[in-house]
Amino acid sequence: MPHVQNGWYLAAWSDEVGRTLTQRWIAGNPVCLYRLGDGTPVALEDRCPHRKFPLSLGRLDGDVLECNYHGYRFDGTGACVGVAEQQDRPRAAARRFRLLERDGIVWIWPGDPDRADESQLPDTSWLTDPNWTHVQGVLPLKARHLLLVENLLDLSHETFLHPTTIGNAAVAATPIEVTTAGPKVYFQRRMIGVPAPPFYQKSMGLTGLVDRWQDGEFHPPGIFVLNIRLAATGTEEPEGFHMKVLYGMTPATEHECHDFYALARDYAIDDEQLTTFQHEQQLAVMAEDVQALEVQEVMYATERRRVAESSIRSDLAALRGRRVLRKMLAAEAAEEEAAAGRMPAAR
Amino acid sequence: MAVGPAAPARVAPVSRVPGPAEPIDVTVVGRRMAAADVVELTVARPATEPLPQWTPGAHVDVLLPTGAVRQYSLCGDPADDRSWRLGVLREPAGRGGSGWLCEHAVEGTSLTLRGPRNNFALVDAERYVFVAGGVGITPVLPMVHAADRAGRPWTLWYGGRHRSSMAFLDELTRYGDRVRIRPEDESGLLDLAGVLADAGPGTLVYCCGPAGLIDAMQNRCRSLPAGTLRVERFTAVSQPVDDGADRDIEVLCQASGLTVPVPAGCGILDAVRRAGLDVLSSCTEGICGTCETTVLDGVPEHRDSLLTEEERAAGDTMMICVSRARGDRLVLDL
Repeated sequence: MPHVQNGWYLAAWSDEVGRTLTQRWIAGNPVCLYRLGDGTPVALEDRCPHRKFPLSLGRLDGDVLECNYHGYRFDGTGACVGVAEQQDRPRAAARRFRLLERDGIVWIWPGDPDRADESQLPDTSWLTDPNWTHVQGVLPLKARHLLLVENLLDLSHETFLHPTTIGNAAVAATPIEVTTAGPKVYFQRRMIGVPAPPFYQKSMGLTGLVDRWQDGEFHPPGIFVLNIRLAATGTEEPEGFHMKVLYGMTPATEHECHDFYALARDYAIDDEQLTTFQHEQQLAVMAEDVQALEVQEVMYATERRRVAESSIRSDLAALRGRRVLRKMLAAEAAEEEAAAGRMPAAR
Repeated sequence: MAVGPAAPARVAPVSRVPGPAEPIDVTVVGRRMAAADVVELTVARPATEPLPQWTPGAHVDVLLPTGAVRQYSLCGDPADDRSWRLGVLREPAGRGGSGWLCEHAVEGTSLTLRGPRNNFALVDAERYVFVAGGVGITPVLPMVHAADRAGRPWTLWYGGRHRSSMAFLDELTRYGDRVRIRPEDESGLLDLAGVLADAGPGTLVYCCGPAGLIDAMQNRCRSLPAGTLRVERFTAVSQPVDDGADRDIEVLCQASGLTVPVPAGCGILDAVRRAGLDVLSSCTEGICGTCETTVLDGVPEHRDSLLTEEERAAGDTMMICVSRARGDRLVLDL
């Protein structure tokens, strides 16, 4: 399955991008990431327009990137500014991707830069809000993008896959309500008067029954935000413990993803021991997910005759998400076809 | 400082609001004659608990004590989540549904509703032409208010037999000449050419009323861009029933050239399979989307959980395991 190109993906955490050339595959595109001397992040297609050699294997000479195969040189816009040791100045350019850096995240729009729409990005100001603290990272995942999307849009799996950390019977037992706004899919699960799973007991000291809210937001194609609220049962907003999790579900290739995460809380923000504990737990949860999705990928990839999946009500958000992605892909495929068909006529 | 979840609009209200498939117990809290033959009922939940959200064009099922299920458009203010307003046409033939409501539903009467659902959603457009015939004004009335509040140019053409039979005229006077009242005994049938003279590019035309009016509008609108005309069939005698006790319908499978009768109580999926078509399906409950089928003609009655309001209103696709037809016939890409 190809990937949606006209949409934002998390390309990197800001601190991952610097003055060294870094290759990262994003939505089927090899991308060379680096910063100019003034700090501006740049993403060029990691294929030299000359003979497709990866530019990320080249070197930076000030703001000029030089390909290490035949010496093609590019400025920060991707334009070829000459070829080292040669008089030729070919009219060539490496494709430059649209980037947007905000709140410690470098977002990338792999498709038409003119259609990049900042308003499609979710609010991430809590990553820099002094009233919140967070941990972040990225894990490699050898599974297709859709499996990661569906993992996060159907959290009933917490009951079975994460029983020692964030899951208990209440999750799967509580139905979700799903709403949509344009391509965005929202779900909410309100667990009222339920026991707190071990992670929340230890993180918040909640030993009695709690009200636990999950408010998920899928910003297609690749962003998921989970708003978490826990409090002793009957406690009204805004009292309670709030956490947020951002997932950058960035497809790399057809069967691989980058699984970016940021886990934030709005209480005890100076408690570093708690931060360490929560980060370890987050990584333990994600290790369980990665393992599950990777074996699931094998099962999808090797099924000789595709048999329709069974689905139940708790799949609704995931199925909506799947449907949105399919529609976006179909629209891009149709546009490409139309563009291909129109071009000869226009000449 | 505690910061609330990202979207306070989705924070659970104090008391639970019933979901779209759940029955809602309400009490009639107001009744008046909105026109000679139209009873206006206002209903609310006990202790005025909140009712589910709805948007202009939405309808609810009324589950009558007679066992019949009838659908009525909501014609009040969508911002009012404590009471709903329905307009019920008193039918001379006295069929089970509306007749019962007109005779028995008074202040204090308990009713069971289901919904709301919207197969006639108001889509954002540059301008609107609204066409209502008779009691077909009910879904159109909140649309007019919404379009006006949004600052969109609009006109309403409202036809009826005679002035005294036309509901909500009082509420429409404030809009002046944007509302064209056309009682048949004064000005004859609606002049559809004149109606559509206002429908320039960027206009959506919403029409609700008797079948004859809708058929005529559909004929008139063939030359307009596809999707310009949005209709809701609203006839007293063939209102879609949503309790599983369905009417017989006919499905023309365009790709295979088969015409398949779908008897009441039998799903479209089962019927076309019995006719020999191989159609993929999985959940058979309208959740998974496996049996999604393109609708080439006819209006689906959506009963699945997957499609969004926009997709429902578009009516160009349906889940044939659970959904049926609002008319007698569907043409599907099968």
